[in-house]
Amino acid sequence: MKKILFTILALSFFETFALAKEVNVFSARHYDSDVQLYQKFTDKTGIKVNIISGKDKALQKRITEEGTDSKADLYITADAGRLGAFASKGMFQNSLTPAIKAAVPSNFRTSKWTGIAKRARIIYYSPERVNANDLNGMTYEDLADSKWKGRIVIRKSNNIYNQSLVASLIKNNGKKATAEWAKGVVANMARDSKGNDRAQILAVAAGEADLAVANTYYLALMLSGKKGAEQQAAAKKVLPFFPNQGDRGTHMNISGGGVLKNAPNPENAKKLLEFLLTKEAQQHIVNNTFEYPMIDGVKPHPLVKQMGLGFKQDLETKVANYGKNQAAALELMLSAKWK
Amino acid sequence: MGKKINIWYFSSFLISIVVAIPIVTVFSSFFETTGNYSLILKNTFLYDYIFNSFVLLTGVLILTFIIGVGCAYLVSFYDFPGVNFFKWVLILSFAVPAYIYAYSLTAFFENYGTAFSILKSLFGEGNYNIFIPKFDGMMGAIISISFSLFGYVYVLTRASFHYQSQNLIELGKNLGFSKKKSFFKIILPSARPAIVAGLSLVAMETLSDFGAVSFFGISTLTTGIYNAWISFDDLTLANRLSFYLLIFILGLFVLENLSRKKAQYHTPSKGGFKSKTLIKLKGLKSFFAFKFCAIIFFISFLFPVLQMLYWTIIFPKHLIDLNLVELFLNTILLVILSSIVLISFAFISNYGNRVSRSKFLEVLTTFSISGYAIPGIILAVAFITFISWFDNNIIDIFGFKTIKSIFIGSIFGLVIVYFIRFFSLASNGIKSGYLKISYSIDESAYLLGYSKFKTFKNIHIPYLKNSMLLIGILISIEIIKELPITLIMRPFNFETFATTAYVFASQDLLEAAAAPSLFLILIASLFILITSKYILKD
Repeated sequence: MKKILFTILALSFFETFALAKEVNVFSARHYDSDVQLYQKFTDKTGIKVNIISGKDKALQKRITEEGTDSKADLYITADAGRLGAFASKGMFQNSLTPAIKAAVPSNFRTSKWTGIAKRARIIYYSPERVNANDLNGMTYEDLADSKWKGRIVIRKSNNIYNQSLVASLIKNNGKKATAEWAKGVVANMARDSKGNDRAQILAVAAGEADLAVANTYYLALMLSGKKGAEQQAAAKKVLPFFPNQGDRGTHMNISGGGVLKNAPNPENAKKLLEFLLTKEAQQHIVNNTFEYPMIDGVKPHPLVKQMGLGFKQDLETKVANYGKNQAAALELMLSAKWK
Repeated sequence: MGKKINIWYFSSFLISIVVAIPIVTVFSSFFETTGNYSLILKNTFLYDYIFNSFVLLTGVLILTFIIGVGCAYLVSFYDFPGVNFFKWVLILSFAVPAYIYAYSLTAFFENYGTAFSILKSLFGEGNYNIFIPKFDGMMGAIISISFSLFGYVYVLTRASFHYQSQNLIELGKNLGFSKKKSFFKIILPSARPAIVAGLSLVAMETLSDFGAVSFFGISTLTTGIYNAWISFDDLTLANRLSFYLLIFILGLFVLENLSRKKAQYHTPSKGGFKSKTLIKLKGLKSFFAFKFCAIIFFISFLFPVLQMLYWTIIFPKHLIDLNLVELFLNTILLVILSSIVLISFAFISNYGNRVSRSKFLEVLTTFSISGYAIPGIILAVAFITFISWFDNNIIDIFGFKTIKSIFIGSIFGLVIVYFIRFFSLASNGIKSGYLKISYSIDESAYLLGYSKFKTFKNIHIPYLKNSMLLIGILISIEIIKELPITLIMRPFNFETFATTAYVFASQDLLEAAAAPSLFLILIASLFILITSKYILKD
């Protein structure tokens, strides 16, 4: 018994003595392909990448409580709001290097964190039941129009992508107008909110609803056949529509990361961030996750290209604003009885 | 009292304190201020959350009662084709965690899911989606949790039936009761303590479930806790909500303890037990009994296994990419370390309680193990918060180096939190074994000049070997399935079957989650197989 306890203790002590050439990543973005990418980084630089993946807030809590003793160097997550909220607690240090600054457009980064890949939250429709003319010039704001009564599916209010979308609406239209909008959307729902983004698209394919709101990469994922032949066929029954082309553009979000305040290996973390923003890494990311590249000169996956590339992205609403308005967004969605 | 008693007393006391850490941390939130989320919550969904938690709990309790007691009744009193097979395969449901059941349920019934594929291959193209029932939301959660937990009710009720004599049915016959009347008037009441014990375990697991509930996106108190924390950064309110949950559970514990006391009264001594002859069922009745057990076995075990197997076969790449050896070794490492730690300390604590016979210690132990009902994710965070506070306020004062990295992000810390989470399981198991050893045995040993330690080592441990093995296996199965604590507490680059399945599922690749899920179920099943004979006996 004593021996065993001693061994456990010895092992856990051993954890404290970190190797010099390494970088510790806390990641709430769990792509298998990211792991392959880190391996490429190690092959190139000799810096070992250690990973813990987990739920976003749980990881943040662990980093916060570990405080100055934290071994975490780089925090990676999906959704700009999450990065913003963590940054507002002062958990990041200056993460930008000249290379990152040059590569990433200013509205997708702050001094504390940077986007790594982009996604758009768009509308999907059934071409059988929705006339393309009806969609002409459609905006997110129009989702509250009573002509869509009983025809829309969208995820629950606790979903972070919805919170960021609504946060951007608050930024553009104010809280009061957005609260009214949320009530309109709830009135237009074909069913109580349930399921993930892919389930919304499938609901349109199956005829349960005519419009769905979901991120871009979900359709590409189904079209790729990775979800099986049935879903590949189902995905072909819906078409993507990019809203707000007549004004500020389509709502964009990012997955991204930042170097942590107490990082023991900040330089290695910055090197990894820089690597993730190279053409080689970006190509690997977009080929596997169906996101949009963060830097110029990299082509998205052909299936994403097929959905349309020429659309206008909302570059006016800085993604850094999402975090500030997310709590207000959830509050007004809940008040509108958005499940 | 001699010096040795003090050591046992002290160890027992210390163990209770460690286990009580998260409860105390949660309780301390009452002295902090909450954010404005509580107000928003009150105005909007608080009652929905409570209502949903209530519906979920009621649904699961009704379903597990019907399935668990129904199966136990059939296999305990009747003889029908396959009865000996069903007796133990029905326990295999323990191997399927509720979150993996939820993955399977969704995969099969969703729009263009497996059910759609089957119908299409049978009847050709068609819009089958509208005819396929959708087991999602509340319905999905109730089904997933019920079929992964009914085993508790089944095993405990069956053990209780097992020790009843055949006379109960004979008695009913003599009184001129119909089978139905005998069941409701005699058999059911006599097994009541066991059923209540099983149902209260189910209730606790249901209330602390996070995986299945969050997968289906149900707004329960647990979701409220998570929302308070995730979206409003209001950990204080999150803790406070968990505390309400805790009070509820404490009530269940008291109920369970009361029924246990009754069970003690009802349990006939071993000498009086006679093996009974089963009533042979014929014709339609036999077919019905067979059908009932077969359906339950299919739904609870074969269905999720087949769904995962189907995916693993049509997407073999995910299996090939899996680092099986490493995942297996990691899982087993956690299982072995935790079992040893849990069983040893559960022994010490129980022995301490026994030799000191202190009411205070008994109450403290009961209080501390109610932590079982705190959702794992909250428990892990409470632990991290406590360690951080302890390190900043106590360790720093004495000028020592930080202790955080010993406890957070290490196997050691992970095992401690497992210890806190599952101590009640281990402790209750050992306790029920101890209840069978009469105090007079201890006293005889002392008269023979045995020391406290020698009594413990030479008499109690051999006596409780079977309980120990059984508890060890139960703990192992729980740890193989455990997810939220492992996720947050584990060291760098450390994956188990459970965390791998989660990582894939969270990026909406349930297909890739299938292979690790399948292995998780297989390993847990193996553990169950090894001990099915012990589980069924007691």
